[in-house]
Amino acid sequence: MENAALTFDKVKAGYKGRIVLDDLSFRVQEGEFISLIGPNGCGKSTLLKTAAALLRPVEGRVFLFGKDVRSMRPVSRAKLIGVVPQKVESPMAYTAAQIVMNGRTAASGPWRGLAEEDYVVIERSMIYTNVLHLKDRYFMELSGGEQQRVILAMVLAQEPRIIMLDESIAHLDINHRYEVLRILKRINREERMTVVLVSHDLSLSAEIADRLILMSDGRIVSEGPPEEVLVPDILGRVYDCELKVQRDPVTGTTHVSGILEGINSHSGAHNTVHIIAGGGTGIELYRRFALQGFRVTTGVLNGMDSDAEAARALGVDTVLEKPFSAIGDEAYQKASEMAAQAEILVLSDVPIGSGNLINLRLAEEALKAGKEVWIAEGINERDYTDGKQAAFTVQQLLADGARIWISLHDLMKELKKN
Amino acid sequence: MKKYQDTTVRSTAMRRLSTISGTRIALFLVAVPLLLSLSLLLGPTGTMLPDLDSPVGKAIMILRLNRLVMGLLVGAALSVSGVVFQAILRNPLAEPYVLGVSGGAGLGATMAILFGAVSAIPLSLPVMAFMSAVATLFLVYGIASRGSGGVPSVYSLILSGVIISAICSSLIMFLVSMASVEGLHNVIWWMLGNLQPAPANQRFVSSLFIVSGIAGAWLLASRLNSLTLGREMAHYQGINADAVIVAGLLCATLTAATAVSIAGMIGFVGLIVPHVTRAMFGPDHRWLVPLAAVGGGTFLAVCDAFARTVLAPIEIPVGVVTALAGGPFFLLILQRKMKSAWIG
Repeated sequence: MENAALTFDKVKAGYKGRIVLDDLSFRVQEGEFISLIGPNGCGKSTLLKTAAALLRPVEGRVFLFGKDVRSMRPVSRAKLIGVVPQKVESPMAYTAAQIVMNGRTAASGPWRGLAEEDYVVIERSMIYTNVLHLKDRYFMELSGGEQQRVILAMVLAQEPRIIMLDESIAHLDINHRYEVLRILKRINREERMTVVLVSHDLSLSAEIADRLILMSDGRIVSEGPPEEVLVPDILGRVYDCELKVQRDPVTGTTHVSGILEGINSHSGAHNTVHIIAGGGTGIELYRRFALQGFRVTTGVLNGMDSDAEAARALGVDTVLEKPFSAIGDEAYQKASEMAAQAEILVLSDVPIGSGNLINLRLAEEALKAGKEVWIAEGINERDYTDGKQAAFTVQQLLADGARIWISLHDLMKELKKN
Repeated sequence: MKKYQDTTVRSTAMRRLSTISGTRIALFLVAVPLLLSLSLLLGPTGTMLPDLDSPVGKAIMILRLNRLVMGLLVGAALSVSGVVFQAILRNPLAEPYVLGVSGGAGLGATMAILFGAVSAIPLSLPVMAFMSAVATLFLVYGIASRGSGGVPSVYSLILSGVIISAICSSLIMFLVSMASVEGLHNVIWWMLGNLQPAPANQRFVSSLFIVSGIAGAWLLASRLNSLTLGREMAHYQGINADAVIVAGLLCATLTAATAVSIAGMIGFVGLIVPHVTRAMFGPDHRWLVPLAAVGGGTFLAVCDAFARTVLAPIEIPVGVVTALAGGPFFLLILQRKMKSAWIG
């Protein structure tokens, strides 16, 4: 552990009644430039707060340069770790220089004011971040990029050995974002400052960091050099969407982007899907299929069902039966005609009872017509018919060539393959 | 990145980053003794220096000096208390009244007067006022933190403070309505706010409380600066934010409660003096605390001189003068200079 700057040892942490970090262990070496990535709410900010002892771990320990962060005095802790939060605001009209001075406050006890060398450090960090010319301007009147650099100067004035930034650059424009990044890279190189950058921008993280740590649901999913972490498979799972990872052969940088052109790429074979749903199980299906460029139809649903509302809102063609009643022949016939138009039929994880058992016949017809049929797994748990008729029917459907789907993400991938 | 290549680190750094206008300080330091001597010339016996050779003139002068000192102490106490509350709560509306501190102190003092403790036990008035103010603060803090899981938010603090404050004043009203005629006179006289010199031992203890409270606030000054960036940021900078908040609240409560115990409910000073001082000299608390203390003390002493002179021999409650004189002045400052005090 000699040259580990920051070590998390089986840390469990969170807020009242809610554990966010779950048994988290990792290590950051001194002088590394780390980027911490992951979807919203995965615990990145909580990790930062725990590292800086703002949050106490429920279990496990956090070490800064080999010392337990909990046993450290606040002043000595601030000399090791500096944190730039997402946004810093001061309601009072401090000038930029006054803000930066706060970085030296803790080091200079209450009796002694700031000394000559403190002012030298303050001025040096202001020069480093290129804000000295702003020293007499009011902090809150500076632009976002200038404010961020002033805060960075303030944290640098602490002279910490690790600096952690919490999405602080996310809202800056590209020019200011790269200016802050250049400053970080420079102190990382010249002063051997360890940098941990929490970021949403995967491409940017890949470009600047030595190592990425990918978090999801309070755990570390993957860590390593950018090209090992930014893999479509892992990212797709963590962010629950399809992502494209491209490597630039000339510069060696990695570029990650979402997929926008789904709507156009599906102009071919599959363009209509019929979904059997109910009770809110269809909403996500409608949304995802519609986003992928499918024409979506659904039915039979009962009126006032939450899926019926969603279908109406999304403009999905729907066959409706009266609210709270069993599906009758008339509605079934209409749905059968509608499903005949579709190339794919998908059955959601809707509970099946005597009232909607008839919907399964749509699947039988589709299979007979040689169409693809996908059934959500776990029919036994949601079969409420007498004598388990639904489960029996599904068994037969599967035997006849219907397929099981488990996660929506996988279903989409499978459909794309064909 | 070229901009700073000609800027080298020089030993003059300290002066180049100085944050306060020297001219304004100089003006302030000239104005304060002038105003204080002016207030010594004013009194119900005439707007002249009394004949110091005669025993009557001497007595008048001593009385005026005593009131001057009382005014300085009480004004400084209320102002510094306001400065500290505004910094900790990061809110321009904060002052001793808002957190229920003055109300609590007032309730304690009323009880001490009405139940006869004041005449029976020496020093019971300031001690009782301080204890009930601290109890009120704990109550407010406790209620506010219960709702927000450990650390109270500013809004819940202010809200519960305002409510507790209202409860305290209703209790005072109730006690007053039940009081005997003599007790009623004492309480009303005290409540209106006046700077009649208190007994010597009470004066001594009160000034000790106030001076130590102000000194404590001054020691916390640089930490208060950090705290205005928020509790979280202050923590990251190696400041024990919770300890600073508790210490600051105690200092502010001590000074405000003592001021209430010796001078009654004098409103406005704790709110406007911090604002005016901040507008003139900027928000750096290392300067703000002493300047607000001197400024607030002078303000109250001068107001008191007017209060006892304008309608002599009738004495107007000094709280009336602080509000009537301070209000328009405050609004003027608010219009012109607010930007250099608060932003947002």
